[in-house]
Amino acid sequence: MLANLKKPSIWLPLLSLVIVFGGWEIVGRSINPLLFAPPSVVAAQFSELVTSGELAEAAQITMKALFLGYALAVLAGIPFGIVMGAWDRFGDILQPYLYAIFATPRVVVVPLIVVWFGIGFEARLFLVFFWSAIAISVNTAQGVRHARPDLVEVAHSFQASRLQMARHVLIPGAIPFVVAGLRIGAERAIVGVIIGEMFLQIVGLGGVIASGSSELLPAKMLCAVAVIAVMGTIIVTALDMLERRFQSWKGA
Amino acid sequence: MKKRTKSDIRRDQLIGLAVFLAAWEITAQIMGNKLVLPAISQIFAALWDLISSGELILALGESIWLLIVGLTISTIIGFILGALVARSRTAYWMLNPYFSALFATPTIALVPLVLVWFGFGFPGRVIVVVLAAVVPIMFSVASGLRDDPKDLVDVARSFGVKGELALLYRVRVRAALPVLLAGLRLAAGRAVVGMAVAETYLRLGGIGGLIKAYGSMFQTDYVFAAILPLSLLGITIVSIIGRIERKLHWT
Amino acid sequence: MKDTMLETPAIELKGIRKTFKLSDSRDADTVLALDDVNLSIRKGEFLTIIGPSGCGKTTLLRIIASLEEADEGEVIVDGEPVTEPGTRRAMVFQTFGLFPWKTVIENVTFPLMIRNFPADEARNTAMRHIKRVGLEKFVDAYPHQLSGGMQQRVGLARALSTGADILLMDEPFGAIDAQTRELMQEELLRIWEEERKTVIFITHDLDEAVLLADRVLLMSRGPGKVREIIPVDLPHPRFDYDVRAHENFAKVRGHIWHQLRNDLVQQREEEVS
Repeated sequence: MLANLKKPSIWLPLLSLVIVFGGWEIVGRSINPLLFAPPSVVAAQFSELVTSGELAEAAQITMKALFLGYALAVLAGIPFGIVMGAWDRFGDILQPYLYAIFATPRVVVVPLIVVWFGIGFEARLFLVFFWSAIAISVNTAQGVRHARPDLVEVAHSFQASRLQMARHVLIPGAIPFVVAGLRIGAERAIVGVIIGEMFLQIVGLGGVIASGSSELLPAKMLCAVAVIAVMGTIIVTALDMLERRFQSWKGA
Repeated sequence: MKKRTKSDIRRDQLIGLAVFLAAWEITAQIMGNKLVLPAISQIFAALWDLISSGELILALGESIWLLIVGLTISTIIGFILGALVARSRTAYWMLNPYFSALFATPTIALVPLVLVWFGFGFPGRVIVVVLAAVVPIMFSVASGLRDDPKDLVDVARSFGVKGELALLYRVRVRAALPVLLAGLRLAAGRAVVGMAVAETYLRLGGIGGLIKAYGSMFQTDYVFAAILPLSLLGITIVSIIGRIERKLHWT
Repeated sequence: MKDTMLETPAIELKGIRKTFKLSDSRDADTVLALDDVNLSIRKGEFLTIIGPSGCGKTTLLRIIASLEEADEGEVIVDGEPVTEPGTRRAMVFQTFGLFPWKTVIENVTFPLMIRNFPADEARNTAMRHIKRVGLEKFVDAYPHQLSGGMQQRVGLARALSTGADILLMDEPFGAIDAQTRELMQEELLRIWEEERKTVIFITHDLDEAVLLADRVLLMSRGPGKVREIIPVDLPHPRFDYDVRAHENFAKVRGHIWHQLRNDLVQQREEEVS
């Protein structure tokens, strides 16, 4: 019957790590350690990147664009989303464009960003900011619009004023949606910063991957990939937990 | 509060589109800088050129083929892994960490590795699409099959459906279909991104390659003209799956 | 009892008429939901309203609560025509209508806070009514941590603490399991016997309608109309004896069911043809 998946196990993931990494080590070593980058080679590469300070410097550059761009996206996205949600005609008109931009893979927009913003910090900032801000504002607008009609009615029946309605019903009701937008926006922001670093100016963690590629050093690329994955997981998991905290606010 | 009807919204959107296009055209004409902001008329001229030369159709065909192959392989792998993970605790705890890690890693960061390991040919591109699309399918299969439709399984059993495989096919997969389609929709969106990444980072090809090529020649009007059908492609695929999802009403 | 007839009624409905549009478009077909509803409810009376689904009973209650506007006719509360929700009427909702982001006490104080009551006074009033419905252990719980029955107790405490003398209850126990519902009926009646508020109570449960009411209003559908008003002569306090075994209970229940059944059979025949 159905396996009890809830019960966690430490041994199974460990066993699986031993099998996968052990197998990778043996196969990689016997064929071409440089090309297949077995774990031992990656570990050596990692300590080299750490001691030389290259990794820390790259991570710092990445973080700077990521956090600044994301902060701007939050600051702009939430108020813009509120306007879109409250003024529904404006929101309806804008929605298709935002969806179209959101659905377009960003790598193909890179040539446009080059002609508009160049290849420097501003260009990367834009890649982080713009798509993240769209995600946040679209979700915020949805939250503002999807006020639960039954709760609006309750407040109305107790003669709440417009201000009280906003404060006690509309804003708390929109918060779960805003938080969902913050999570989706963060995911977009992380990908955005890496695209910028690989396709515009070769800097930061994305730059480490790009240079590893041109030097034919998979181990170097894997080090940067691992750092990006860990960084992304931490950020997204934190926002995911926040999202779950507000889940009950959506109510029935 | 007055509710706006569908036709009200449609009318506003059409007016909005007209205003948007006119404002763009006028701004572009005043600026007179084709590199930074080509006019709508120039973009449509470029689009017409791309269509009449056959370049666009060829590129789109190549891209769609890549998508079909990539999504088919993703679905097959996603189904096998998802079913495994849903039905076996051992498989879950042994496989899940890798796929969670893969999901958290931007596909774009993995493309250079694919280039080194698998080359820039068609297989390499397919692998990029699969890396982008397989995880949502696997997760949705896993969560769809994990929500055990116990009542339905009992009904099927009482009417003589025997064996785990028959139950899987006759009851569990069907009951899980809405979740599976939601996963497929997410996967399709990511596959289009994977496709564009593969076509611009590996060897230039398809619609992504077309855009990159015109971009490096700084022909912004052609870049816009080629992005348009690509966006449309992504939106169309996702909305087709969304439409099928809505047709299934047994959620 | 006699002099109550001379008093101004708590609520009077005069010629209430309401139509609905069948779709959003401007020239959509309309359907008549309520046609010429006239009604007078005494102060301190417990009136239940029952009728086949689609007879407009919820619409009628919402019009009495001023949550919806009638096309024609007047709602008169204590001699004054009303068009906006007011402090004398408090609503208890079928889906409870609790704010998921507020605790039990915050939900109950909500109407008082809207009216700018001092915080400690609001809290004291709310606590008193939370105790009355037996939820003093859950004051700081959130709605999603409570069962349906407990959530509706919060809804009831909220309506009571407003101090309104008219309670408008829209199938308040409809979403609650049968056994809990019996307890809630008992509690509601006990509170009503203490305070004698005017109650208008919508239900689709025949037993409930008879069990609680001074008078049962039976509505018919297509369009919604007052079909009959049936007085229920059962002594109070009703839960001190087996009400259902009382001969008047059976008589009234049987009478209403007979009428209701005719309506339902007719409705089914219309649907088939």
